[in-house]
Amino acid sequence: MNHYKLSTLAALPLLMAALSSPAHADGETIAIFTKNQTNPYFQAVRVGADVAAKNLNAKTLHYIPTKPDSIPEQLSQIEDVVVKKPNAIVFIPVDYKAMVPGVEKINAAKIPVVNVTDRSAGGEFLSFIGADDYSLGLETGRYLLKTLGGKGNIVIIEGVKGSLTNIDRVRGFNDALKENPGAKLLASQPGNYQRLQALQVMENLMQSNSQIDGVLAANDAMAIGAIEALDGANRKAQVVGINGTKEAIDAIKAGKLLASGDYNGFSQGCLGTMMAIHALRGHPVIKEIVLKPTVITKDNYEPFAVPLEQRACPTFEEANKLK
Amino acid sequence: MTDITKPTLSPSRSFLSQDAIQLFYRLLAALLICAALSVLTDSFLTLGNILNVLRQASLTFFIASGLTLVVLTAGLDLSVGANVALSACIAGTVIHQTGSPTFGVAVALVVGGLVGLLNGVMVTALRIPSFIATYGMLWVLNGLTYWYMAGETIHGFPAGFRQIGSGYLFGVPIPVYLLLIFLAIGTLFAQRTTWGQEIYAIGANPVAARLSGIPVARRLLLVYAVSGIMAGLASIIFLSRLNSAEADIGESLTLPAIAAVLIGGTSLFGGVGTVFGTFIGALILTLVLNGMNLLSVSANWQPLVTGVIVILAVWLDMKTRRRT
Repeated sequence: MNHYKLSTLAALPLLMAALSSPAHADGETIAIFTKNQTNPYFQAVRVGADVAAKNLNAKTLHYIPTKPDSIPEQLSQIEDVVVKKPNAIVFIPVDYKAMVPGVEKINAAKIPVVNVTDRSAGGEFLSFIGADDYSLGLETGRYLLKTLGGKGNIVIIEGVKGSLTNIDRVRGFNDALKENPGAKLLASQPGNYQRLQALQVMENLMQSNSQIDGVLAANDAMAIGAIEALDGANRKAQVVGINGTKEAIDAIKAGKLLASGDYNGFSQGCLGTMMAIHALRGHPVIKEIVLKPTVITKDNYEPFAVPLEQRACPTFEEANKLK
Repeated sequence: MTDITKPTLSPSRSFLSQDAIQLFYRLLAALLICAALSVLTDSFLTLGNILNVLRQASLTFFIASGLTLVVLTAGLDLSVGANVALSACIAGTVIHQTGSPTFGVAVALVVGGLVGLLNGVMVTALRIPSFIATYGMLWVLNGLTYWYMAGETIHGFPAGFRQIGSGYLFGVPIPVYLLLIFLAIGTLFAQRTTWGQEIYAIGANPVAARLSGIPVARRLLLVYAVSGIMAGLASIIFLSRLNSAEADIGESLTLPAIAAVLIGGTSLFGGVGTVFGTFIGALILTLVLNGMNLLSVSANWQPLVTGVIVILAVWLDMKTRRRT
């Protein structure tokens, strides 16, 4: 279950070797900054980065706060990295505003840096690679409503109130509902991205609503929690989530989950690392890629069911089309 | 000073009558919330919803019941949520790899219990204040769980195992039976056994308890171990109800459990409180969330409403306590 950590350890001696033989065409070290060890999304980013680095004959070194999303810890990791001087950095800020001073330190040390996932509020970057939560919410919501024929009783289960991802995803859901006047929003209630809370919200909403046709959940764990609640009450509704986690793919395959919006962490990790290495080698760099939302359904889930380590990164030419 | 030399077990009996009055107020508070919700929405006062609320309250109650014993000794166990997460992840792996739910349940209870026992050792043998010892344990457990899971989710368990959390017997959810059984066991243990009465005595006055010959260290080990075992039990309910587990499930479980204990009238200073009160505390917390969902209260206001109710409940408790 923990193959990832071992690979980091194994990378250490390689890093030493890389540092002792500078000015080599390849074998560069790329430091990858992610937010935490708990969210499967960042695991996908890390594996994507590892695959891209391996393809291009470079190495990765991962920096992850031990306390999830800790601002002081990521700042001190930046201080470490400024001293160790990797060839380039792929950076996901734990907080898009609070980490700006950290980015400025990286800039001051003249280490090239690519921004991934959450757009930093300041600092200079070679490139930005991300996805758009709003269009992800919108497209996933549209898919659910299309399946329901543009009508029915709908429930939204929201993530953590006030978090950027949640605000945009829920706004996307609501706009999809506005396009379908035949659909009725029964309730929009908080599940805080937690499975248990979503299950309980759904159990409660089923008490006050005898007919629920569709559920829009702001992440996959909550979508699966809602499905457990529906199953427990012997009721049926179409449910969609967001993130494209392995669990969600399994549920789509089993016909339990209708769809999941793919936040595409693997591709983001791939492309961020690819741009960093391209810049180091004087190859062309794409300044900005905001990945188009992919809605994973029973018709297209197969490529997503492949384990992360065995997936292929998009090529540079494909990346150009993803813009 | 004469009290210290003669701390018999009989005075703790008198807690019962005072506790009875406190319990009455608490039941009244819960009934008031129920009455208000019945007026505000037709969907509240139905058999289906009452069973639904009890089932939801059960998870908080399991964690909070063990915690009640710890708080009765004037201690605190902040590691319960992290313990649930670790126990659930290990038990989930065991069930996947051996195919045996029985083995998984046993492992969850053993892991939970061992963690609790370690907490107890830190508090008794090393004399670390329980707040710090269990706070440290929280981080150790989180670290272990994050490392072990590496961002993965364990999901998909045998149908038989899932009955524990999501099954019914005569139309009543299985967790509700478990809730009633553990409520009875907890109440009988605390009120009717010598060990239970010794726990009250330790919380009321640890020096007097030691002087009167109560094996304080052993009883403390017991309460922390029980708190851990109940976290292990909660992890089983979680796994079988949700059909999956990830590393971060514990974070949102600890504070509601502590709140249930305190709303239930157990004093952080030890010696006062009941397991039944904790049940009412868990019920009140669940009722508030249930009511807000039924009334479709905006997500913006839900944390605020929960906070106000928690503060009101504890304030009312202190006020009525002074009068009695």
